[in-house]
Parts: sequence; structure tokens; C-alpha cells
Amino acid sequence: MAEDLNWAVGGEAGDGIDSTGKIFAQALARAGRHVFTSKDFASRIRGGYTAYKIRTAVEDVQSVVDRLDILVALTQRTIDENVDELHDGSAIIYDGERSWEADIPDGATAVDVPLKSLAEEAGGAIMRNIVALGAACEITGFDVEYLDEALEKRFGGKGSKIVQNNKAAARAGQEYVQANYDLDLGYDLEVTDEDYVLLNGNEAIGMGALAAGCRFYAGYPITPATSIMEYLTGRIEEYGGHVVQAEDELSAINMALGAARGGARSMTATSGAGVDLMTETFGLVATSETPLVITDVQRSGPSTGMPTKQEQGDLNMALYAGHGEVPRFVVAPTTITECFWKTIKAFNLAEKYNTPVFLVSDLAMSVTEQTFPPEAFDMDDVEIDRGKLVDDDGVDEWLDSQGRFRAHAVTDDGVSPRAKPGTVDGAHMSTGLEHDELGRRTEAQDERVRQVDKRNRKVETAKNTEEWEYRDFGDPDADNLVISWGSNEGALVEALEYLEDDGIDVRVISVPYIFPRPDLTEEIEAAEETIVVECNATGQFADVIEHDTLTRVKRINKYTGVRFKADELAEEITDQLSEEVPA
Amino acid sequence: MSSDVRFTDFKSDKQPTWCPGCGDFGTMNGMMKALAGTGNDPDNTFVVAGIGCSGKIGTYMHSYALHGVHGRALPVGTGVKMARPDIEVMVAGGDGDGYSIGAGHFVHAVRRNVDMSYVVMDNRIYGLTKGQASPTSRSDFETSTTPEGPQQPPVNPLALALASGATFIAQSFASDALRHQEIVEAAIEHDGFGFVNVFSPCVTFNDVDTYDYFRDTLVDLEEAGHDPNDYESAKEVILDADKEYQGVMYQDEQSVPYHEQHGVTEDMSEIPDGAPEDAMDLVREFY
Repeated sequence: MAEDLNWAVGGEAGDGIDSTGKIFAQALARAGRHVFTSKDFASRIRGGYTAYKIRTAVEDVQSVVDRLDILVALTQRTIDENVDELHDGSAIIYDGERSWEADIPDGATAVDVPLKSLAEEAGGAIMRNIVALGAACEITGFDVEYLDEALEKRFGGKGSKIVQNNKAAARAGQEYVQANYDLDLGYDLEVTDEDYVLLNGNEAIGMGALAAGCRFYAGYPITPATSIMEYLTGRIEEYGGHVVQAEDELSAINMALGAARGGARSMTATSGAGVDLMTETFGLVATSETPLVITDVQRSGPSTGMPTKQEQGDLNMALYAGHGEVPRFVVAPTTITECFWKTIKAFNLAEKYNTPVFLVSDLAMSVTEQTFPPEAFDMDDVEIDRGKLVDDDGVDEWLDSQGRFRAHAVTDDGVSPRAKPGTVDGAHMSTGLEHDELGRRTEAQDERVRQVDKRNRKVETAKNTEEWEYRDFGDPDADNLVISWGSNEGALVEALEYLEDDGIDVRVISVPYIFPRPDLTEEIEAAEETIVVECNATGQFADVIEHDTLTRVKRINKYTGVRFKADELAEEITDQLSEEVPA
Repeated sequence: MSSDVRFTDFKSDKQPTWCPGCGDFGTMNGMMKALAGTGNDPDNTFVVAGIGCSGKIGTYMHSYALHGVHGRALPVGTGVKMARPDIEVMVAGGDGDGYSIGAGHFVHAVRRNVDMSYVVMDNRIYGLTKGQASPTSRSDFETSTTPEGPQQPPVNPLALALASGATFIAQSFASDALRHQEIVEAAIEHDGFGFVNVFSPCVTFNDVDTYDYFRDTLVDLEEAGHDPNDYESAKEVILDADKEYQGVMYQDEQSVPYHEQHGVTEDMSEIPDGAPEDAMDLVREFY
């Protein structure tokens, strides 16, 4: 098991919890340590419990666990919310001078630091969280100097005085604990020469979009997708692109569709509630054969559900949304790096097959910040494939005998050419109505069948020529097979270590492609037991797997609104393996 | 763009299925003439249409075109224009498409002031669904779904545009071919969102707002000496519920279109073969 430290800061929304946590995470990344963060937050601007949690180790960390070592508590509720994760070696940093009486659970070490007073001495009460970071450094044997660069990054724009004050505040906290406590909790954070970047899944999607040549984004703010829009705003312009905040999701997808008709690589992103609205236009995107990437950062539903909580409840929607039969691709990245690479793949698929691509992520991945070596995002490896985009010269071979562009030409591979406005002789209409090769409305039976077949043939072509590989972990010959989709991969990979310690061999297959998807028949037949793990109540992916392979599978479903944790998953898998297969 | 474009170049080989005498014939002819008259050609023009009788226009015209979802034509046009500031974008709609299901988009498209024209075929009725009340139907206009009339005031699209910060508001009559063409041309040439509400009579289902009615009542603002650059007089004619007007009601000569306001000037369809040259900087930002 990784020598990990689990640290958290918690308080009320508006207390600067996020930025405090992020500063500590960045400091750890600077020190060559891996970081995996998670957030507890509510759908409100101020008040309510919120926390930023960090798991850090020298080795790669990909999951949260049910253990908290150091807790910076700005409120009693922070302690209460996390009491089950605290243990005899835990330390709680709090401000005893504040109005609340800290109720410290048995076993945990109370570290009472006058955060506010020390912050005021350093230049202002607002820096009390930074004092706490300094205190945390002392308890964990982590050099307070690693905070400096993160503080410069965070406060550099506010002037050197502010930066200096914050550095002083951190040192005040560190020195206070050094002078007043003689703690030996056994924490001694090792540092390495590595230097990591720290980013979340939405930033990876945004960066992937820029790498892929996305130039237009339209969206309507919605948790947890908004940060994609915020990432692109201010950056996409550097490449000549633009972000529009639309009046609603109906508009957003239609704007994105318009930009794609204009020839731009175009994207919209939303969460499930927004996909509901966008579904109206989904069939149009498909039948007009417009390349478009639609990102769904899933959150807990139905309806408004639990808007700031994790769920993978939109798989069926991604597969089936829209009336009629809508050809599409559904890609669901399984890690933050994969958020980057699969976004690029989504843009290529969209343009190679003139088809909408659903990119399905989730809340957990969108808010988790994780460290990676920068090479994990090597831009030299980015490939762009614009499919059958034709220029003035290329149009000719697609004209009919009367010189009209066959935008929906019936081809062997099902893929028709794409001419963007301005291409000479490429003018054509596309429509949500069934149409002939020229895009003109038709209800002729033979034309209808030819176009439906053509659109479905594109998907067949993609199925047969693209790679839809899964990701394979653990023992490939194990009797026990665990299948997952989306962001559960990290927790499962770490769960393997716990299971191995208990002598349980497991193979983990993590599937990033929902449609088309890899055929897992052989893998399931080779295993004695198969469990499908997902964050929803009904087992939507398990249903799909059973349908594909005509085999019953066991299911682990979590729909509490919180992502899977590695240790919890290991336990669940162990329990399930001893149970009977459902009839 | 070539200078020898004729308006018939914008005509497709599909014969319209509109009812004989439909106002949409005249409306569309004027649009084609205005596009040609302002120096555009089909390969550099994008026409967006929604759903309804007006939505069929993309089929009967020849250009780059998208016939989309009911009510969402303006967002599509917005996207095309942002991606391609070099392309002439014209959006066609009807009173149902634009002022009912798409009313929300209308308000925001007006606010954004994207440099495109929006031509609404307003026949004050739902024609394609065979004669139900539209948002511009008169309060006492009896239809199959409103036997007593809607008993609601009709939407005043011009006032809605004005209240939303429009920079160009005009109205024309499909049957007055020359004036209609002139007005649409002015909308195309306007630097910003050029909105034209067109009286386009439905000869099948609307026996009130007929050709004769408009011929008898229409006041031409140009003949009346109206100054479209004067906001106050524009307000007056727009809010005047007693008369039907044609002409440019309001034009803000200081209008700055969206793409200029936001520095969106590049053809977004052109991208490199791989990641942008300096793309590793994006990664390094996360140190």
C-alpha cells in the first residue's frame, strides 16, 4: 500500500476552503509528491459544510480512502462530518480562540492554533487558513518553503506585499506548532525531484478541446460542467476561437451546431439536466450529419437531484436520447489524462464520421485534481483527422451530373463528404427532414432506406476500423473479473492492492467506450465471476453488458452521491464474490 | 464574390409547395433579390430556417443552408456567423418559430447584435398545422383551438426587439416587392442584427390579415418622412397599435456587431494538422 497521507481542510462555503486546499495540493506537487483531491460541497454560495481533501503519496494515487490523518477544521461540523474517518493518529488543527468549542473525538490529537490572531499579526485575519497550512506543514514534517511557490501563484497578482504576508502567515503557523507542541504522530512527508502538473477532469477536457482544434464553444452554466467553459474562456481566443454563454441549453447546442456547419470544430458541455434540453436537437445533429462533441459531466439526478453530488446515471440517456434512431458515438473517459485524450478522439470521431459524439464524464472527475508528469499530455502525440472535409478542388468528385454537391452521398463506408461554406460549388442544404443525397426533403421509400442505411453504415465502419479498446488491470488470468466504466477506474486499480493483500486475484476491465464498445463475451466466459461496478442504482452498464454477452453479472452500485473509495470497493468486491450469482 | 450573380442563382430546383398566392413566395423572392443585390453568392451565403411554412425556404433557395429544429434558427445562425465572420448569414422564420417557441432566442439574438439578417414571415396564423392561433394573431381571431379568439393581446415583435436593444428594426409587406427587397437589403447591409418582420399573408387560413387588408392600411414610413435614426420617433411608430407600417423603423448607426465587439474575426474552420505549436504551454500552466 502506498505510504499515503490524507489531509483535509473544511469549513463553510465562502471560507476560502478550495483555494486553501489547492495551495497545499500545489505545494505537494512542487515537492514531487503525487496528489489526488476530492471535494465535499453544496449547491450554495455561502454557508453549509464544504471540504477539500487531499490524498498524497510518493507513488501515484488514484483514489480517496476512508481515512483522514490531518484535518484543518474551521467549524465543528467539519469535525462531525469526518468523525468516522479520524483515527488514533489523526491531528485536528483548529482555532481555540474562535467562538465554538471544539469537540475533539477520542484518540485524535487536538492542535489548537490561534489561527486568526497569528494571521492578524502577519497582516490580516483573512490569512488564517494559510496559518493553518503552516501548522499542517510542521505536523507532517513538510518544509514550509514548498508553500511559497503556490502562494506566489495564488496571490502574485495582488502584489508582492500580499505574497510576503502570506508567506509570513504560513511560517507563523509552523513556528507556533513547533514552539507549543511536541508531536510525534509519525508523519514525515518525503519529497522527490519530480515536478508534477495538477489539474482536474474538466480542465483536461478543455485542454483536450484546444489541442484538438476546437474553436467554438457554447454553453449554459451548470454544475459540474461550467468549469470547462471557464477554462476555455480566455484561452480559446488565443487560437482565434470564441466562447458564448447562451441563453439556455437549447440555444447552446444549436449555436455549437451552427459553428460546426460553418466548418469549425465545435463543442458544448452540460450536465444531465442540460442534456435533457439538448436532446431536442440531438437528432438534427445526427441526421444533418454534423460533427459535434457534446459533453455530459454527470451529476446526481433525476430532475434537480443532488446537483453537487456524484452519479453515473446518464449512461442510458447517452445511448438512447432522442426520438427515432439516432446514430452516435459515446465515449466515457476513465481518468483525468483520458479526459484529455478522449476529448481529442471525440473530435476526430465526430469529423471522420460526421456524427455527434457524446463525451461522458462525471462530477467526481470534474472536481478531482490530480498530479501527472507533464509528458502525460504530450502535445506532439496529438493527431487531427478532419475526415472527408473537401476543398474547392475536392468538391468536383462529389457533384452530380447537374453540378450539385452531394452532401449526403451514399458511399460504401457510409461517410459522405463535408463542404464548409465558402467552398466553391459546395453549396447545399442539410435538414432534420429525411432527405436525398443533395439534402432535399424526401419521403420516397427507397431514398429513406438508403439514407438510414448509410448513416448506420458509418457506425459499422467505425466499429470495424477504429480501436475501441478497454483498459486492463490486475491479473489477466484471474477467475474474478470486475468491469467498470467512467471514473471508477482509479479506485478499482487501488482496490486491487487491498484484494491482493487478502489473496484475492481480480482482473479489472475499465471501459472508456460505451458505443461502440468492446465485446467482452470472451473475457466474461473466461472468468468464473463477473461484477460490474458503477455509480448508479439500477446498473445501467451491467444491463448493457448482460445484453451483449447474454450472461448474468453481479453488480456493485453506489448512489449515495459520493464516489467509490478504494478500500470500500475492495470490501464490496470481497463480499460479492462470496455471494450467489443472481438468477 | 462574383459580381455577376443573379437572384435566380439563389433558387433551388425544388418547386415550392406553399399554397398558390402564399405571401412566402414574395417574401422569398425579395430575400433572394436582396442577397444578390448586396453582392452575395450562394457559395458564400448561409441560410438558416426553422419549422413551419417559413422553414421550407431553405429547400427552395440555393445556398449553404440548414433547416433545423422548431424555434432554434437564430442560435444556429449565431453559431455559423461566429465561426465564419466571412460568410453572409440570413435566418428565416415565421411568427410561430420566432415569437412563440423561439421567443427566448429572439430576445437574446437581438441583444447579441450578431451581424446577420432575420426575416420573419409573419402571417399571424399557424398555417402548416392548418390554422391555429399564432402569437401575432388578433385577440378575437377565431381558430380551431381558440373558438373565441386567443383573448390575449398579440405579441408586438417590433417592440420586443426594441426592448431587447435592437439596432435595426424594420417591417415589410411581401406583396410590395420592391420595398420589401430594399428593406431586406438594408437589413443585410446593417452592421449588426437586421430584423425584418414581413407581412406575409396566409391565403388559406387567415381571412382577416389579407393582401387587401394590408394594401388598404399600410403606411410607408419612407413616404411619411420617418427618421429611422431617431429613437423616439421609432418608439412611437413601433408602439402605435392603430396602424400597420412598412419601412425601416429604427436603425442605430453606431451599431457595433458582436464579432467586432468581441474580436471574433477569424475563420474558425481553419486549424493546424496537430496540436497548436505552443500547446505545451497549456500543460505548463498547471504547474
